[in-house]
Amino acid sequence: MPRNPLDDVDWDAVKRYKKLVLIVPLFILIAVGALTSYYIVQPEEEAVIKRFGLVVAQKEPGLHFKLPFGIDTAQMVPTARVLKQEFGFRTQGIDGRTSYRKDSMHRDESLMLTGDLKVIDVEWVVQYRVSNPDKFLHQVRDPEQTLRDVSESVMRRIVGNSLGSDVLTEKRVQVANLSRAELQKAMEYFDLGIQISTIELQDVTPPEPVKPAFNEVNQAEQERERFINEAEKRRNQVIPRAEGEARQVIAEAQGYAAKRVNAAKGEADRFTAVYEAYLDAPDVTRQRMYLEMIDKVLPQAGRIFIMDENQTAPLPLLNLGDSPVTVPANR
Amino acid sequence: MNKNPIFSTFVLLLLIIVGVVLRASIYTLDQAEQAVIVQLGAPVGDPVTKPGLHFKLPFIQEVRRFDKRVISWDGDPNQIPTRGEQFISVDTTARWRISDPLIFMQRVQNERGATMRLNDILDSVVRDKISATDLVEIVRSKDWKISEADLARVQLSGEDDEEILLQEVKTGRQELVKSIYTQAASQMPEMGIELIDIRIKRIDYVEAVEQRVFDRMIAERQRIAEQFRSEGEGRAAEIDGDTRRELSEIQSEANRQAEIIRGQADAEASSIYSQAFGAAPEFYAFLRTLESYPKTVQDTSTLILGTDSEYFRYLRDVSVQKTMDQ
Repeated sequence: MPRNPLDDVDWDAVKRYKKLVLIVPLFILIAVGALTSYYIVQPEEEAVIKRFGLVVAQKEPGLHFKLPFGIDTAQMVPTARVLKQEFGFRTQGIDGRTSYRKDSMHRDESLMLTGDLKVIDVEWVVQYRVSNPDKFLHQVRDPEQTLRDVSESVMRRIVGNSLGSDVLTEKRVQVANLSRAELQKAMEYFDLGIQISTIELQDVTPPEPVKPAFNEVNQAEQERERFINEAEKRRNQVIPRAEGEARQVIAEAQGYAAKRVNAAKGEADRFTAVYEAYLDAPDVTRQRMYLEMIDKVLPQAGRIFIMDENQTAPLPLLNLGDSPVTVPANR
Repeated sequence: MNKNPIFSTFVLLLLIIVGVVLRASIYTLDQAEQAVIVQLGAPVGDPVTKPGLHFKLPFIQEVRRFDKRVISWDGDPNQIPTRGEQFISVDTTARWRISDPLIFMQRVQNERGATMRLNDILDSVVRDKISATDLVEIVRSKDWKISEADLARVQLSGEDDEEILLQEVKTGRQELVKSIYTQAASQMPEMGIELIDIRIKRIDYVEAVEQRVFDRMIAERQRIAEQFRSEGEGRAAEIDGDTRRELSEIQSEANRQAEIIRGQADAEASSIYSQAFGAAPEFYAFLRTLESYPKTVQDTSTLILGTDSEYFRYLRDVSVQKTMDQ
């Protein structure tokens, strides 16, 4: 006789535990229901509430209730947080000291062509915020990747429409502003629910192999300044001294002039004075002056010969020198 | 309360069956999803695009779900020659969406199939368009213009390729991308796909060309450096020259002024003398001659005087009164 499997059941035990068998699942049911009927939205977040997959509400930060058992689901999106994407490098270490990493993959991101068909290495950061969490979640499958792709494309278009030397220097801000505007427009086109806060250009440099040549230009520029400065220095060493010397020459000439004129005046005055005295008694004065001169001259002379008209040989008056002196006898 | 175990079991089974049937005839669709209902292999009705709770026939109908959102397509970088025969590497990216899930399901089955078809179509369109376009048209945009001032400034900083700089842009990047989009988008509806956007993500020179461009840039920089250096030397020489000129000017000017001052002084002195001496020329000659003797006669001089000279007159004869008075 085949055994009825139900005969083996300890029906007494079933009766005994009947209550428990009903209560435990019920309790679990209530617990699960309670746990899935509320959610907390953090201050920087917004919640998107979906009922059977259909978006029914967006909630602000705080405690909220919903239908349990997965009928309603809540998805939190950090709308208040400013998010960041880096191009051409990656920041490492969130807190404390940060370091920047750049390898060949990142270099591919940042190397681009300029309008003058050169190559330039532009690193930049896009800061953005989720402005519409519903759209952010449901409009595009991978919004971050879309943002990356579009941002790269936009930056390359703008840089490709500028001169490389401008992007390196004065047009940095302009490039950032233009690409921000264009990126924002693209975000609106995709209806991504993303608001672009800023685009900031980081390091904008010539490509690695060209850098030494660029540095050489900077050095040469400084060298040029140095050359010029040195020449100015030489100039400053010479010119003020020459100016001083010029003033000296002029002053000396003025001194000479004063001396010369004064001497002339003195001499003239003396002459006039002597002449006036002379006019009082011309003959005597003349005689006296002549003799005074002789007084001075004769003692000075080395030898003096006094000749008589009638004699033929010179007549030595004072000491006769060793060497014979021949003097013409007659005039 | 009926305690018949058979009855209890039956109720339990019934509940389970109802549950299973209900589960098989209800389905939810997420906000990001759309679906096609397939009944024994054949699609039934319009595709379901509205998210939420939906019903279907249990067991014989199944739900094929598709993404409703915009999906990214990323092409591999392609090496393409431009019209000017320059090889560049072009990396494109596109966004697309399943616009008609029914046709999509029939033609390409799933996203994998769609991606493969997109690879074929987009790569070929991009290749066609790029190879028919000059590099400047791909890199620059239509509003590219370079003013005289820009050109002068750039040339000052050593750019030599004026020809490239001035090359006019007829279509430009945006127009090029637009035409790529138009051509590619026209092939999409037959796959139930809508092409939202296609973009050139990156353009790079291929390695060999890149090296040449780098060499050109290096040569250009070195030329600028040389220019700076020689400019510096030139300016220095100019300043040195100026310095020397200024020096000569200062010195000669000083000398000139000094000469003038001396000359004027001499002239003044001369006029003073002539005024004074002109009053008594004979006396001046006498006085001046007397003054000159002590200067000219020195101890090396030998004086020979006649006894009949004025001075020795008295040496011979004291009574010369007569003579003198004559």
